[in-house]
Amino acid sequence: MSESVVNYDTVSKNARKKKRFKRSTIYLILLVFTIINAYPIFWMIMNSFKTGQEFSFDPFGLPDDWVFVNYVEAWVTANIGSYFLNSLFVGIVALFICILVGALASYFLSRFQFKGRNLLYGFFVVGLLVPIHATLVPMFILMQKLGFINTHLALIFPYVAFNLPITIFLLTSFMGSFPKEIEESAIMDGCGPFRIFWSIILPMSRPALATAVILNFINNWNEFSFALVLINDDALSTLPLGLANFAGQYSTNYTAQMAGLTMVLIPTILFYLVMEKQIVNGMTQGAVKG
Amino acid sequence: MHLLKKPWIIAVGVIPALTIYLIFSILPIFISFYYSFMSWNGFSEMQFIGLENFKEVLQDSVFWLSVRNNILVVLASVFGQIPIALGLALLLNRKIKGAKFFRTIGFMPVVISTVVISITWRMIYNSEYGMINNFLDAIGLGFLQQNWLGDPTWAIIAVCITIIWQFVGLYFIIFLSALQTVPSEILEAADLDGASEWQKTRYVVLPSIWNIILISVVLCISGSLKTFDLIYVMTSGGPANSTEVMATYMYGKTFEGLRYGYGSAISVLIFLFSIGLILITTKLLRRKEV
Repeated sequence: MSESVVNYDTVSKNARKKKRFKRSTIYLILLVFTIINAYPIFWMIMNSFKTGQEFSFDPFGLPDDWVFVNYVEAWVTANIGSYFLNSLFVGIVALFICILVGALASYFLSRFQFKGRNLLYGFFVVGLLVPIHATLVPMFILMQKLGFINTHLALIFPYVAFNLPITIFLLTSFMGSFPKEIEESAIMDGCGPFRIFWSIILPMSRPALATAVILNFINNWNEFSFALVLINDDALSTLPLGLANFAGQYSTNYTAQMAGLTMVLIPTILFYLVMEKQIVNGMTQGAVKG
Repeated sequence: MHLLKKPWIIAVGVIPALTIYLIFSILPIFISFYYSFMSWNGFSEMQFIGLENFKEVLQDSVFWLSVRNNILVVLASVFGQIPIALGLALLLNRKIKGAKFFRTIGFMPVVISTVVISITWRMIYNSEYGMINNFLDAIGLGFLQQNWLGDPTWAIIAVCITIIWQFVGLYFIIFLSALQTVPSEILEAADLDGASEWQKTRYVVLPSIWNIILISVVLCISGSLKTFDLIYVMTSGGPANSTEVMATYMYGKTFEGLRYGYGSAISVLIFLFSIGLILITTKLLRRKEV
C-alpha cells in the first residue's frame, strides 16, 4: 500500500517536472521572439543618445552620458517639424474624405436593394488586389496632366482611392448586420435616406468607423512610394519621405539618423500602445472575415 | 434592405466614392497600358512604338533578375512568416502569464513605418558599426562577419530576413485570434480520449483553422509582391542589381532614366504578374480545400 503511494508520488513528480520543463521551454521561445522583435528598436533608441564617438566603440550598452546633440541636429537639419505637419495634414484630410465617401457608399451598398449592387461592391473590394507600385508611373503621368505634382492633392487623392476598398469592406459588412427594422420607424416619420444615414446608421457604426479611421490613418502616415514619386519639394515632404532623404544625405552620421528615427517612432509606438485593440482589429479583420 | 423609388439618390450616394476610386486606382492601370506602347521622356513629343518596350524589357537580364528576386521575396515571406507565426501562435495559445505582453511586442513591427524599419535595419547590417557584426564579434564568432548589404550574395538574404521580421507579427496575431475560435468542447473531448498535445494540434486545431491559414498565405503573397519601399530605402536594388525587384527596376528606369513609356511597360508586367500569381494561388488553394 505504502509502496504504491510512493510510486504514485514519483510519477506525479516526474510529470510535474516534465510539465515545468515544457512550460519553461515555451517561455524561452516566446522570450527569444520578443527580444528579436524589440531589441533592434531598443538598440536604435539607446544609440540615438550617444555621441558618434561612443557609438563607434560601444554600440551596445547604455549611453555613458545621455546626450541630445543628435536630436538637435536631426531637428534642425531635417525639418522634422515640417514633415510632421505635412504628414498630419495629408493623412487627416485623406482619411476624412475616405471615411465620408466610403461610409456613404457603404450605406447604400448595405441598406438598399438595387440592380448591380453586388457587382459594384465586388468592384470596390477587388481594389484590395491592385498592386500600388504598378500604378506609380501612370499615377505620376496622371498627376502631371492634372497639375497636381508637388501639391498635397497629389497624395490625398491616391491615399483616398487606395484606402476605399478596405474602408468599404469593413463598413459594408458592419452596416449590413443591422436589422431591417432600424430604419422603418424613421421612414414612417418621413426621414429621407440621407437623414437616416447621418442620424441613425452613422452613429450606430461607430465601432467599425473607429477601426476604419485608425487603419486609414496608419496607412497614410506610413506611406512612402506615392510620396517619393509625386512630391519633389522638401517643404511638402511627408515624414517617411523626409526621413528617407535625410538618412540618404547624412548616411554616415548614424547617431543623427537614429535620433530622427526615434522622433518619428515614439509617437507611432505610443499611438499603438493606446489604441492597440482597434489597430490590431483593423489590420487583421480583413483576413479573419475574408 | 430597402427598395428606393428614386434610384438617383443611390447614385448620389455612391458616385463620390466611385469617382475617386475609378480615377485614382483603376484609371492608372489603363494609363499604363496606353503609355506602354509609347516612347516618351516626359518632355519631347511622344512616339508610338508598338511592342518595342515590352520586347526590350523581356530581353533585359536585369529585369529577369528582378523577377527572380520578387519570387524569392514571396517564397521567403510565405515559408518564413507563416510557419514561424503559426508555431508561435500555437505556443502562446494557452494560459500563460504575460500573454498580452508577448502579443503587444509581437505585433509592434507591423505598425512601424517601413521607412523607419529600413533605415534601422540598414544600420543593423552595417559592416563596421552594425549590431550584427558587433554581436558576432562579442561572442567570438567574428569570422562570420559579413558586409551584409554590400555583398551581392548576402544582400538579398539580408533583405528577406528584414521582410520576415516586419510581418511575422501580423500573421501571429491573425492565427492567435483564429485559434481562439476553435471550440473548446472538441478539445476537451480529445483530452478525455487521452490525445496528446501534438495529436490535438494535428487533428483538431490545424484543420479547424486551415481556412485562415490559406487566406493568410494569399495575403502574404499579395503583401510581399508589394515590396518596394523597404528595398528602395535599404539598398536601392544594389549592390550590382542583386536586390532589384520589379518595382525598384521600374522606378530606376522611369525616374532616373526618364523613360516613361518603358516604365509603363514594366508597370503593366508587374500588374499582370501580381494578378496572375494571386489568381493562381487562390485557385490552387481552393482546389486543395475540396
